[in-house]
Amino acid sequence: MSSETETQVARRAGADSWSSPWIGLARFGAAALQRAISPSTYNGVTLEVVQKQIYFTAWEILPGFTAFVALLCVVIIQIVGNTAKGFGLYGYALELVIRVLALEVLPLLTAVFVALRTGAAMSTEVALMKIHNELEAFELIGIDPVRFELIPRVIGGTIAVLALTAVSIVIALGLAHLVIVDFQPWSLPQGDFARAVGKVFDLPAMLLLWTKTLAFGLAVTVIPISQALATPKRLSYAPVSVLRGMVRLFFAVMSIEVVALAIAYVV
Amino acid sequence: MSSSQALAARASVVRRIMLPDNGARRKLVAGHPEAVLISARLPLRANLSVLENIAIVSRVRDGLSAEDAARDAWELLDRVGYARVAELRDPDLGHEERFVAKLVRAVVLAPPIILIDRPGRLLPDTYYPPFVDATLAALHGRFEQCWIVDYEWNAPLYPRPE
Repeated sequence: MSSETETQVARRAGADSWSSPWIGLARFGAAALQRAISPSTYNGVTLEVVQKQIYFTAWEILPGFTAFVALLCVVIIQIVGNTAKGFGLYGYALELVIRVLALEVLPLLTAVFVALRTGAAMSTEVALMKIHNELEAFELIGIDPVRFELIPRVIGGTIAVLALTAVSIVIALGLAHLVIVDFQPWSLPQGDFARAVGKVFDLPAMLLLWTKTLAFGLAVTVIPISQALATPKRLSYAPVSVLRGMVRLFFAVMSIEVVALAIAYVV
Repeated sequence: MSSSQALAARASVVRRIMLPDNGARRKLVAGHPEAVLISARLPLRANLSVLENIAIVSRVRDGLSAEDAARDAWELLDRVGYARVAELRDPDLGHEERFVAKLVRAVVLAPPIILIDRPGRLLPDTYYPPFVDATLAALHGRFEQCWIVDYEWNAPLYPRPE
């Protein structure tokens, strides 16, 4: 006989989450991770939810996100370039720009963007599902909603954060090349761009970057869902639940960034 | 073999159970965990269409492909005359349409008992006994037993047995 369903685990995690938030969150996060790496999770129904989540989180917003990232990159590259030039350190501008944008600003920006857009929406939807008994109704017809509805969203949302971060880094590199190298070809010796990229993206930096991004992806999906599952069954609690989820998400994302900074620059 | 084909040969039995109060109703429901409940407090998934709400059952339980499950669901909806609501979502449904969607989803589940809990709450704007009977008649052969659980004070609404 199998032990408790994932929904029961999530519900217990949810109950904990309302009283002691981080324990409940950790439980749901662990269940989600365990499910995500299990091949049995992936069937037609769950893959469909994963695909939909990637579509709504990454593909649908791609044009606007790309445009915003490009604009931000150009502004930051100009600021860093001009400041470096003022100090007579233009040779360092490229490495500085790549380091600041690709390793620090863009992963954080992507996580915040997805948190505000998708995290808030997910939190509201799951809270309403809980309040309106949709989760219970699904369970009663033998469909574990956490397994078939919620964990695929965590997987899809995390993949979307990883993909959007990769896209934003590619845009940043392209624009850094365009603004610093192509527009002022006399400023840097030939081959400096490749050298700077290679220097910034060494193995430890890559490991840290993608571990951090993975943690961002999990945070922006697991925290809103876990918090929403803890919502008491009263409509008036829905905004409270979303608010709590978003505040915890903010602190979690910032904590991940601070830890990553400490590992990269202090340890 | 699809789930609807598997159910094709069932001899459906419909029972009316008139109870004196809510306590008796709760006791009856709690005593039959094998029954699939059709109740006003158990909604459809709001962000899925009626067709998806029905089809997901056989996709998850029987591992049917999306196409086969949708075809089965469509066939059942068509049989009860509600194929037109297949693409609608719960908030866009009328009471009768929502009731039919829940009933068809329960039929696809093929439980030993389908328990319609207080049809008056599910169909507040309808003279419900004939409507429920007609819907169940259209699904005859696709379920084993259906219990209609109602309060004794609603007994006059039901036609007297001949």
